[in-house]
Amino acid sequence: MTKYESLINDLAPRKFGKRGTIWTFILVAIIIIGLIAYIDQINKGQVVTNMRDYALWGIYISNFVFFVATSFVGSATVAVLRLTNNSWRTPLVRIAEIISLAAIVMAGFTIMIDMGRPDRLLYLFIYARLQSPITWDVIIIPTSIVLSFLLLYFPLLPDLAILKKYFTTTKPRFSKWYGKLSLNWTGSKAQKAIQTKSIKIIAIMIIPVGILLQTIDAWLFSTTYRIGWDSTNMGAYFISGAFVAGLGVLITVVYIIRRVRNLDHYITDYHFDKMGQFLALTCLVYLYFNVNEYLIPIFTSAVEEEVHLNTLVFGEYAGLFWFSQIVGLILPIFILLFKKGRRPLPMFIVGFMVVIGSWWKRYIIVTPTLLHPFLPIEGVPESWHHYFPSMHEWLITAATLAMALLMITLFVRFLPVIPIQRIAEEKGLVKTNNNEDS
Amino acid sequence: MKHQKTYRITFLAMMSILVLCIASQNLFSQNEEKYRVRLRSDYVKIMEGDAYLNIKATAKIEDETLPVPNIEIEVYNEVEGEEIVLGNTTTNMKGESRFVLNKPIDLKADSTHTYNLGISFKGNDSFKKASKSTSFKDAQIVADLITKDSINYITATLKETASDSVLVGESLDVQVQRLFNPLKIGEEFNFTDENGTILVPVEEGIPGVDGNLTIEVVLNDSDLYGTLKDIVIAPVGTPIVDESTFDQRKMWSTRNNTPIFLLIFINAAIIIIWGLFIFLIASLFRISKN
Repeated sequence: MTKYESLINDLAPRKFGKRGTIWTFILVAIIIIGLIAYIDQINKGQVVTNMRDYALWGIYISNFVFFVATSFVGSATVAVLRLTNNSWRTPLVRIAEIISLAAIVMAGFTIMIDMGRPDRLLYLFIYARLQSPITWDVIIIPTSIVLSFLLLYFPLLPDLAILKKYFTTTKPRFSKWYGKLSLNWTGSKAQKAIQTKSIKIIAIMIIPVGILLQTIDAWLFSTTYRIGWDSTNMGAYFISGAFVAGLGVLITVVYIIRRVRNLDHYITDYHFDKMGQFLALTCLVYLYFNVNEYLIPIFTSAVEEEVHLNTLVFGEYAGLFWFSQIVGLILPIFILLFKKGRRPLPMFIVGFMVVIGSWWKRYIIVTPTLLHPFLPIEGVPESWHHYFPSMHEWLITAATLAMALLMITLFVRFLPVIPIQRIAEEKGLVKTNNNEDS
Repeated sequence: MKHQKTYRITFLAMMSILVLCIASQNLFSQNEEKYRVRLRSDYVKIMEGDAYLNIKATAKIEDETLPVPNIEIEVYNEVEGEEIVLGNTTTNMKGESRFVLNKPIDLKADSTHTYNLGISFKGNDSFKKASKSTSFKDAQIVADLITKDSINYITATLKETASDSVLVGESLDVQVQRLFNPLKIGEEFNFTDENGTILVPVEEGIPGVDGNLTIEVVLNDSDLYGTLKDIVIAPVGTPIVDESTFDQRKMWSTRNNTPIFLLIFINAAIIIIWGLFIFLIASLFRISKN
């Protein structure tokens, strides 16, 4: 077996083992339970949630914000690292693209789940009011879904053609599908020229579209005159937070795929070290914006701000607030400062901490603010002044997360998670053809 | 033996409960007491406008006076013992209803030129039947805006229609319509003189849309004539500068008034980005063809 054949053999998708099958079944079970809960929510209405006149956005929206933030990993790794000419990104970009697509698709679904009447989805387009950031969100999410798909698909073409050939004898049906999806890729000069140009366009587009997506997401909050949201800091705050959340998810997923697929030769300690440095930098930037976000209101200290900050720092949400700040941000920075902290296993733990911290951070951004409006509603039940998701909300949210993970799992099952052609070129196993992969 | 004793006690206890239930007849019967409805009707006439009855239905329930909504009330004209039905009306959630008398002049008066209007409620499962009569004579207020020595006045004359005689010593209110409550102008009481007339100066500086003041002259809740009102549009106010941006293209306007820059920016962004998508998808076809 030549080195090139060995490379293909290593990187070609392969059937799940026992653990993979159990994992997939668990995800499907969670999705089915969530689906039942969602059907019940549609039948009975959103009264099954704990959202009321005060907390009119709850766990669904915080989960949506988390998905949107996570989808930024595509922009972060593909575009930013490409522009800064970081070649270490190669084995990681495909996984980042997969996460990006899964996250943004689920962000779109989550918004629908939050709608009281999902059958009126079309009204969002028909009766769109262009001044509303919600309309901008309705525009940017489908845009991001298409762009994330194209970002994943264009660089895949040569690999799909390789897989078509690879599975010709062993799995002819798979080979047929890979052939169709590879769009008759032969690697001709004309095809490569078109592909290179297209990838360049996508790589340029992904930055403004990614930034717009995060910023619009932030403007959903900051254009609302509410304590904790009414801030010019929000756009940059969300972008920096998206870098952190996205990289956290990427590191966690990369570690698991590396373990499961035995890709230690391709995703090495060096890659984890680089990702660790990148995550440390983004965490520091995010910490800076966090200081801005919470320190300045302490100085201006309007009565309502004080109530809100007290709830976060000492009150009802103190546990979650400090968890997201310490476990999700400060502790990872300390760990990542040391080289040993940037080894694969510690990095996996750090990535996981960042992901959990990031998820709860979105919850902290969305919920406490809603419970402290400038104009309180008179005569509402005491329970409406507090919010904790109902069982329906938990089950549905768990199902959305499971769906995202299932999408990633299926992509990993059927696609090469590391770009084969690109690696072969970098290793000099095939003739370099100036193909600028992502 | 012990068991038998227990059975006897249980039997006696059960029988006692049964006897108690039968003896106290109202123990499980519903409270069938009907409440008394109190009706009130006030006659209101706007000069050169509608005349109507303001009807209100209330009931005292558990020491609290509450409105009676959704009951049908019949309105009729009483003439020499005869009741001519004018129509029906239903009370709203506040227990109120307005019955418009389209042509009050067609109502039939008695020999003293008094109109007698009755309202009646037939009763239902919860409320007893009730009725109420209202009597009034037809009268008119003729109001006008005049200017004397650069001072604007509202002059108004109150006259009984049937006898064509002016009404002396009646108090008329002069007020400017405002958003919530009218703004009274002039003295607290403006009694009509021997000519049945009042003269009330209009202060300067009262704001009005385009400088127009809607001034009302009102005979309020008179026992004999009901409530009469004449309205004068007087262009003697200080014009209000309309600062509303409702019809302008602003970020807070309706979807039809989207700011132009936003229309251009968003549509341009959509066209450019989705145009590039079309180009990229076309590129996929081109790759496929090559």
